[in-house]
Amino acid sequence: MPDLLDSPNSGRGDRPLTALSVGRDPKESGEDNRSLTVAVPTPLLLCQRVSKWYGPVIGVNQVTLELRSGITGLVGSNGAGKSTLMRLITGQLRPDLGSIEIRGHDAWSTAARRHVGYCPELDSFYEEMSGRQFVEAMARLCGYPRRVAIDRAAFALERVGMAGRAERRVRGYSKGMRQRIKLAQALLHDPELLVLDEPLSGIDPVGRDEFVRLFRDLASMGKCLLISSHELEELEKLTDHLAIMAHGRIAAVGTVAQIRDRLDNHPLLIRIDVKRNSPGDNDSANDERRRLAAGLLKLNDVVGVELLDARSEDAVDPVLVRARNPQRFFQELTRLVLEEWYEIARLETLDDSTSAVLGYLLRGRSA
Amino acid sequence: MVPDYNENEGEREAVSLKAANRSLVAVSPLLPVSTSGLRAWFYLVWLSWRRQARSQQMVWIAVGLLLFSVSLVAIFTARGAWSMRYWRWPYRQGPTYMQWADEVQLLASLPDASAEGQGVQAALAASVRGIILYSGFPIFSHWIVFLLFLSFLVPLFNLSFATEALGGERESNSLIWLLSRPLPRPAIYLAKFAALLPWTIGLTLGGFVLLCLVGGRSGVLALRLYWPSVLAATLAFSSLFYFMGATFRRPAVAAIVYAFFLEVIFGNMPGYLKRISIGFYARCMMFDAAGDFGVQPERPEIFLPVDGATALVVLLGLTVILLGIGTVVFSRAQYHEVV
Amino acid sequence: MGESLNRAATPELLHYRPWRGEFRTPAASVWPIARVALMSIFQKWMFWIIYILGLLIFLLFFFGQYLLSWAETQAGESDVQLGGWGRMNPRHLIALFRGFLKLDGSAESYRGFFAYQGYIVMIVLALAGSILIGNDLRFGSLPYYLSKPLSRWHYLLGKGLAVAVFINLMTTLPAVVLFAQWGVLESWEYLFERFDLLLGILGYGLVLTVTLTVLLLATATWLRRTVPLIMMWTTLFFFCRLLSAAMVDGLRFSPRWRLIDLWNSTSLIGAACLGLDLETIRPGNQPPWYEAALALGGVSLLCLTYLIHRIRGVEIVR
Repeated sequence: MPDLLDSPNSGRGDRPLTALSVGRDPKESGEDNRSLTVAVPTPLLLCQRVSKWYGPVIGVNQVTLELRSGITGLVGSNGAGKSTLMRLITGQLRPDLGSIEIRGHDAWSTAARRHVGYCPELDSFYEEMSGRQFVEAMARLCGYPRRVAIDRAAFALERVGMAGRAERRVRGYSKGMRQRIKLAQALLHDPELLVLDEPLSGIDPVGRDEFVRLFRDLASMGKCLLISSHELEELEKLTDHLAIMAHGRIAAVGTVAQIRDRLDNHPLLIRIDVKRNSPGDNDSANDERRRLAAGLLKLNDVVGVELLDARSEDAVDPVLVRARNPQRFFQELTRLVLEEWYEIARLETLDDSTSAVLGYLLRGRSA
Repeated sequence: MVPDYNENEGEREAVSLKAANRSLVAVSPLLPVSTSGLRAWFYLVWLSWRRQARSQQMVWIAVGLLLFSVSLVAIFTARGAWSMRYWRWPYRQGPTYMQWADEVQLLASLPDASAEGQGVQAALAASVRGIILYSGFPIFSHWIVFLLFLSFLVPLFNLSFATEALGGERESNSLIWLLSRPLPRPAIYLAKFAALLPWTIGLTLGGFVLLCLVGGRSGVLALRLYWPSVLAATLAFSSLFYFMGATFRRPAVAAIVYAFFLEVIFGNMPGYLKRISIGFYARCMMFDAAGDFGVQPERPEIFLPVDGATALVVLLGLTVILLGIGTVVFSRAQYHEVV
Repeated sequence: MGESLNRAATPELLHYRPWRGEFRTPAASVWPIARVALMSIFQKWMFWIIYILGLLIFLLFFFGQYLLSWAETQAGESDVQLGGWGRMNPRHLIALFRGFLKLDGSAESYRGFFAYQGYIVMIVLALAGSILIGNDLRFGSLPYYLSKPLSRWHYLLGKGLAVAVFINLMTTLPAVVLFAQWGVLESWEYLFERFDLLLGILGYGLVLTVTLTVLLLATATWLRRTVPLIMMWTTLFFFCRLLSAAMVDGLRFSPRWRLIDLWNSTSLIGAACLGLDLETIRPGNQPPWYEAALALGGVSLLCLTYLIHRIRGVEIVR
């Protein structure tokens, strides 16, 4: 689905164009990108055609990503590959193909980790410690002297709103408090890139607003934030620079409006199986199918209809439809089916990534 | 070993400070400060050492087992068990060995015996008495040092603490906090090993000292002769089981397969197969040290011992090699379950 | 079909429909719990490595019996020279080997097999305990079981059944195979004439199953974590064995001290099941089998009491 990623303007209006350029090889970047590459020689984060397998399952598939500053939202359903991508960026995993560089250092190297603050999704700590002890320990593991570590930990805890509650043992913390502690430890060494895996999950609405403010402030300081979530609305509040992940790929990138526009112009491939009236009676089946095809062609958004060969043992006849503006198309299709009463055995979007992006956008709009 | 990483740090701090004046969000209000990898490493050693104690059940079982063994040995010592003086022949029914020696002495003093015969019998009785009186050390060595301590307590203490060092972090998913710090992975591996040693050496060598001190004269002699082999075996076992912690998902189970199955099978095999067992070299060091005191393998032609110096070199070499391999493995490993 | 329907009608949508079958008793949950537990262990490659190691002893017995039978068919009538020691009929020599190695389908042969399996059974059970019960307790999967209409006893019975399967997979089953093999190799009559041996094998297996299962359930419920469980388990079965050997064989204490070695105690009761005399058991100086039964019964009772106590408590297993 390359055209979804072919962004003529991959930045947002109020910040530099190269702040985010996702989904294509930077070496093949356009004119605008080149001019800015001269200004900032090494991007903060550069993933080039990164793939990662878990045995036979592909976790991340050919992802190319470049970040320089600002907040980028990474959205996708569970299992879409967001966490794997973040683990790759923070040097917890190694890509099987491709490369990841942070300020020119391989993400696996120690040098790269100095530039990265990571807030992982998993929820385990040194449970026997208090929140403050934990964050202090993390600061000391960054190599700060004791007094400095104590001060830095105190400051980071204050930033995440845990200063008054950090003396209790982590074991007794609520989910929200744990998230705050995780965020505090990521801020300790003042990293340029903050990789935050689902930082808002489990946090109450008031806490979310605090976090959103904090993230914006960090971004305004020139930090680069990569924040994942499976809720689009949540990230829309924070940034309109989004990358939608599906099946290990970055399926779409840009602002929500841009993605919707491009999706509307991108013909969607849909397979509709019409139930055959009486098995073996090919003529009547063809009638039904042709009737549907004719009905479909009358719809405004349908670009083309193709009748696929049906296997005689199946009791269905498949029809392949290409349609633009999916949301309107599906509304009209529903109306058509109900009015004309077609028996649809199966309806399937053949482009998985588009389907996933669409799922997100439709949900976002209906919300 | 661990490079400093304070390049540009001051500069970045200064930027952060400027930003702090501008915005409410500053990560640190402090003046520029340099970070030190070495400092972080030493802190990691201390932290890991302290965190080993968090597995309280493990520590309590280890200490309990040690104290139980020490108490048993103390009771045995008090009952004079380290000597054949009270052994009976026929088994548990007849007179004691000492009574037999007295009988021989008595026979020697019979008036109708010839002078030569009396002399030979007296010498025989004296040597039997000598053997009986000085049998304590071999008995202590065989049953307490070789059997209970070297075959069980040393592997158990090592396997529990060494597999828990990394395996416990992996099991509780907390390894990520170390792996996401700006510390080189080899440094993390070595730091945790350094933190592990006080526990394993403390329990094995400290435990051995206690066990020997309550073992009376035989125990003190055993301590003097055997402590280097206990130390060398501890280092080798620790590095092996620690390496297993970096490699296996269930390192403790892999470790008991090695310690209580393969070591037993290999250790009892004739020929050279037993030379891949750590216990064999520890035993060789002990036999070499205590050869003058009558402690030797039951059947040297089957046991095929190596000399003490070679055994020491093998054990120390094994420690270094396993540590090296472990460092490489850990540096390259991707722990899926921790992330 | 579509034609016959009124096209304007509301389409028939999928509705939720509750299940209308009959619920079975909670006791029926025992086997599914055991099956899930078994599958979770069978998926571990570590288990298969240990199991193969455990089968080595079985294979030694199996092919040992086979080899000697085969050698018998190959042996000629003429005597063979035995180094410098003289000449001997090969059949007598094979019979001597069989007796010496206890590869003769006798009660001693089966007792030996069970006894040798001790080490590896202990290791498998340590693995099984930490995975089957320890994991449920540590990672909070117990509520999934207890949220169903079944009691903690059913849960423990299910887990116990899985443990029992492992124990028998490594002991009773191979022993029965050896018994059958001897019948096939030697004579069919053996299978009927020595049916008492088969009963003995099953009895021995039952003793092992009951005592080890109860002991494992209790220790795993108590300790939960893998390493402490392994420490306790090895202490019970290795340390106590070495200690009893040191006390009885080394320091000449009373043979009753052998009772602290639980595996030895099962071996004594097993020998009684197989109809063996005390004198045939190595190492010698053994206490009588009923004392071993008393000791094992005591330990099992203690473990059961502990389990009952935990189960009645508010949280068996937090």
